[in-house]
Amino acid sequence: MTWNVLIPPSQLSPKCLLLRKAIMVRLLEDFTNRKASEQHGYYVAVNQLKTIAKGKVRVLTGDTLFPVTFTCITQKPMKGEVMIGYVSKVLRHGVFLRSGPAGTIFLSDKVMSEYKYVGGENPMFMSEHYSKLVKGAAVRFKVMGLRWMEDDRRFLLLATLAGDFLGPI
Amino acid sequence: MSGEEEENAAELKIGEEFLKAKCLMNCEVAIILEHKYEQIQQHASDSDPSSQVSQVFEKSLQYVKRFSRYKNPDAVRQVRETLSRYGLAEFELCTLGNLCPDTSGEAIALVPTLTSGGRFPEGEQGNDKIDKMLNDLSLIKKFE
Repeated sequence: MTWNVLIPPSQLSPKCLLLRKAIMVRLLEDFTNRKASEQHGYYVAVNQLKTIAKGKVRVLTGDTLFPVTFTCITQKPMKGEVMIGYVSKVLRHGVFLRSGPAGTIFLSDKVMSEYKYVGGENPMFMSEHYSKLVKGAAVRFKVMGLRWMEDDRRFLLLATLAGDFLGPI
Repeated sequence: MSGEEEENAAELKIGEEFLKAKCLMNCEVAIILEHKYEQIQQHASDSDPSSQVSQVFEKSLQYVKRFSRYKNPDAVRQVRETLSRYGLAEFELCTLGNLCPDTSGEAIALVPTLTSGGRFPEGEQGNDKIDKMLNDLSLIKKFE
C-alpha cells in the first residue's frame, strides 16, 4: 500500500531578486529538481502556497532570500509497509518492481521460496499453484528495508513476499 | 539512515513529521493529481509552453490511476467517512482503503496494529467488527 502525506510548513530559499510569480516558478522548479529527500520521501506535488515572508538580501552576492511556506504532497515508503507494485523486470535471481515514484524495488528469489524461475522468451516466476510473476503483473509485497541514495536522490527498497496475503493479485 | 531503524510501519512508528501530517489514500491522490495535471496543461498553453511535469509526478499519477479502487469522488469520500467511524489511525485507514482486504484475517495480516489498542480485540468479537467494516467498504464499491 502506498500512502501519500500532506506536510505542514516547509521552507525554501530561491536566489536572486524575483517577483511573486517568479518566486512561485522558482519554487516549483526547486521542488521538481529536489525530487526526494531522506526525511520526507518523494516530492509529488505542491499543494498550496501559504505565505511568502519578507525577503532578506544576502550582502555579498546581492541575492535575496525569500522564506516560502507551503503545503505539499510527498510519498515515503516505510519499513514494514505493505504496498502494491508491478513487475518491471524479471531476472534469474529476483524481480524488479515499480511502485509509484519509487522506481527501484528488488524482490529476491530467496524470499519467494514458492516461486521458481522459468526462463525463455517471456521470463517469469511461477509457483506450484500456477500463480505467476510476469512483467507488468501487479504484486502485493512488504517492504523489508530501504536505503536512501544521496547521489541519485532516490530510495532503494528491498521487498519480501514472506507473509500472508502477499504475492501477485 | 539513522531514523530508519526506529521507523516501522508494522508498529505504526512513522516518524514525528508524518504524525502531524494528513494521510491520503491512492484514490484521493488520483483525484488531486489529475486535477493538477489539467491545471498545468492549461497554464502551459498560455504562459510557458516548455513547462513539463516532473518524472515523480508522472510516475505517481500513473501509479495511483492504476491502483485506485474507487473512481468516483463521492465514493472516495464515503470510504473515508466509513473508515473514520472505527477509530483508526490515519495510516491504518489509508492502508485499508488502498489494499481493500476481503476478510478480517487478511486485514490483520496487512495491518498488524489493528489488534492493538483495544479497538478490535483479538478473537470473535474483534473479527466480527473488522468484517463489518470491510462489508461496509465493499458495499460502497458495489454501488459506486
